[in-house]
Amino acid sequence: MDVELSEILDTLCEYAPFADLKDEPILQEMVKDIEIQYLRVGEWAIAPEARNDNLFFIRSGAVETKNKSGKLLRRMHEGDVFGSSSLLRGGRSSHTMRALEDSLLYRIPARWFIQFYSEFDSFSDFFELSKEVRLKTAVDSQSSDLSLMTCPVHSLLRRPPITASHDVDIKTAANIMSNERVSSLLITQNDALVGILTDRDLRNRVVAKGLPLDVRVDMIMTQDPVTVDAGDFASEAVLKMMATNIHHLPVVKNDRPIGVISTGDLVQRESHGSVYVISDIYKQEDVEGLVQISKKMEHVFTQLVNADANTQMIGNAMSHIGVAFVKRLLQLAEREFGPAPIPYCFLALGSQAREEQIISTDQDNALILHDSYDKNIHGDYFRELSDYVCKNLDRCGYPLCTGDIMAMNPRWRLSLSDWKKTFAEWIEKPKAEALLHVSIFFDLRGIYGDKTLARQLNSHIRELAKTNKGFLSALARNANQRTPPLGFFRQFVLDGEGKQSRTFNLKSRGIAPIADLVRVHALALGSSKLNTFERLEDIEEAGVMPDGRARDLILALEMIGMVRIKNQKNQIENGDSPNNNVNPETLSEFERRHLRDAFNIVSRQQEFLKYRYPGKG
Amino acid sequence: MNPKNVPENWQEAYAQLAQECQSPALRRFYEAGVPGLSKPLAETPLVSLDIETTGLDSSKDDVISIGLVDFNLELIRLNSARYWLAKPHGPLTPESVTIHEITHSEIQDAPRLSSLMDDLLEAIAGKIVVVHCAAIERPFLYQAAMKHYGEPLMFPMLDTMGIEASIIHKPWWQRFGRQPSLRLDACRQRYNLPRYRAHQALMDAVSCAELFQAQAAHHLNKKHLASDYSC
Repeated sequence: MDVELSEILDTLCEYAPFADLKDEPILQEMVKDIEIQYLRVGEWAIAPEARNDNLFFIRSGAVETKNKSGKLLRRMHEGDVFGSSSLLRGGRSSHTMRALEDSLLYRIPARWFIQFYSEFDSFSDFFELSKEVRLKTAVDSQSSDLSLMTCPVHSLLRRPPITASHDVDIKTAANIMSNERVSSLLITQNDALVGILTDRDLRNRVVAKGLPLDVRVDMIMTQDPVTVDAGDFASEAVLKMMATNIHHLPVVKNDRPIGVISTGDLVQRESHGSVYVISDIYKQEDVEGLVQISKKMEHVFTQLVNADANTQMIGNAMSHIGVAFVKRLLQLAEREFGPAPIPYCFLALGSQAREEQIISTDQDNALILHDSYDKNIHGDYFRELSDYVCKNLDRCGYPLCTGDIMAMNPRWRLSLSDWKKTFAEWIEKPKAEALLHVSIFFDLRGIYGDKTLARQLNSHIRELAKTNKGFLSALARNANQRTPPLGFFRQFVLDGEGKQSRTFNLKSRGIAPIADLVRVHALALGSSKLNTFERLEDIEEAGVMPDGRARDLILALEMIGMVRIKNQKNQIENGDSPNNNVNPETLSEFERRHLRDAFNIVSRQQEFLKYRYPGKG
Repeated sequence: MNPKNVPENWQEAYAQLAQECQSPALRRFYEAGVPGLSKPLAETPLVSLDIETTGLDSSKDDVISIGLVDFNLELIRLNSARYWLAKPHGPLTPESVTIHEITHSEIQDAPRLSSLMDDLLEAIAGKIVVVHCAAIERPFLYQAAMKHYGEPLMFPMLDTMGIEASIIHKPWWQRFGRQPSLRLDACRQRYNLPRYRAHQALMDAVSCAELFQAQAAHHLNKKHLASDYSC
């Protein structure tokens, strides 16, 4: 090309969808046909009722889109394109576009849009794919996992398949499963795979429906299940499982089943490094040893990130490690202070309970004591035990909770009955303000001791919560308090001061709002799940959200989580202490665009939450 | 007539120049006149022009590139863009090369400016030329015509630098500290326009056209005659 307009070409090529066309000579021809337009704030790029014959590229400034009834649909900034939908409808425009600030626009005549649209898949894909699909593609391409990419599916198989013939009855099938300790059973007919039966099927299709146990298994199995070929790369299996939302994937070779891989297999594969850490933790005979191991945690974390594990795998691995520290400390404590005089259960709260822990999280924990607890007799023992655990966790890299939500705080060391009363108080007389400080208690997992105490408390909470509208709407209101930083591309709605003033917090503005809003739905459903991804699956199954929206949130969480994790990895590698703050300028165009899509999804789901659980203000 | 004395009445000056002029190309240029000058700004056809030179002295230094692009207050049409390199008479000085980044080898085979003059006149005839800093562009183009045709080339200009100066002008008793810069890039930043790499004649012409659109949108009356703002 003549060098003279290369500056304009270069700018276009920094952004999708032009970036993919940057080596196409035809793009240089297009640049010569651009018209440039300066708009003052408030002027129309596409006025109401006007025809549109251009694709617009925002070179500087900002433009807002509204629909016919005047509702704001989107704010667009430097590098965004608009006008495509009216071009695809022959120029009829249903949205208006107006400058939000003084803007410089490049107008690309319609004929170029139409030519590129028909010639280049990457170009048409960009416009065809809805925001959500674009995000999914992004998540998929990010989790294109090095190790999983290169290892074939059959290398993940650990045992021959457990199968049953299609004509056995349910009871026989269930017996095989429990004898073999598997959560899924392949159903065959003349050695060919015809179906799959999972724990969940037995629960949902048999027990819940009250079906007799002599019904033949082929009446309730999933027929013609999705399978993966033994020679396929494991990453394809991951994508299939994600796309179809299943947890067990039969592996076939020449149509014969040779095994099953489960999400668990993939997690273990990805976090095998962390499995060693866990066994190391249990080998330590004193706190000093644990402190030494804790120094390796950043390394373990960066290893997981570098192995391209997804956020769910990393959250899972880091939480299990965190739990191992707690358990080992409790074992050492019981060695020092003697066995507990009465049953108790140590609780993980918040992200550790949800199995979404990452590096550098404060400890949040509590203690349930058996109802035979007598403060005068047992008080000292549990005070010493809790002090020991919490203070040593602090030494192991899990700082004391600034909100004092810890077992060492006597307020959070209660008997089961007192816990039940406390929760009943919170749920039946909800005060939004007060709930804000205790929302963390609604993600609660027993990790050591008598876990039936935790289970009883959880089912008590579930029973109360799901019928209590006032509580749900108070919780919903709280969940909407922290909003995603939608304007951050240009307006920089940034948190904080000083050193971090050019950053925003991915946890409080992205991940926490998702966890919060998902918790409300999950409690309303009475779901027993704690993990946000798993809760979303329950939510999807129950149809609480409009079709597909739960999947969108899963993708949004994965996207935001991935940016956070990679950011932390970079901080560690630069010798900084990892935190949740990200500087938008350090993000790639890819990350920025998809992060914004993700935030848009969160924002819409916050709106939905408001509508779903309305309450007095 | 010389580039320091700009005529009061361009219509009259063009008529006179058209009569006196010997070279056909110049005569055609003057005969086309400047119809846009007596029209409201919004209806005036504009052409933005920028030149790169080997130095700042129009009597000694040469024009080595010219860029121009047609526009109006609504749109800048890149498909009207023209760009020429011209071979200078003297050698390129290292200082100038660092500014415009045009090197010897690039202009070795370029035509002389003389042979481009007819095309240049045709491209700007009937339009009002917009430049950033008329005080430099005008004498260079005047000299170029003198060298090639032996006759003067003068035309009205809209000068974004002059316009910006009048926009930000304050009486001396209100001034304090450093005066705001009138460089093209500095002016553009006052209008939220993007940063471009400077000193490439065509991009500078585009850049100047954008600046004029922005100035017009913010400060000029589109119903006023173009002659109210020209120099």
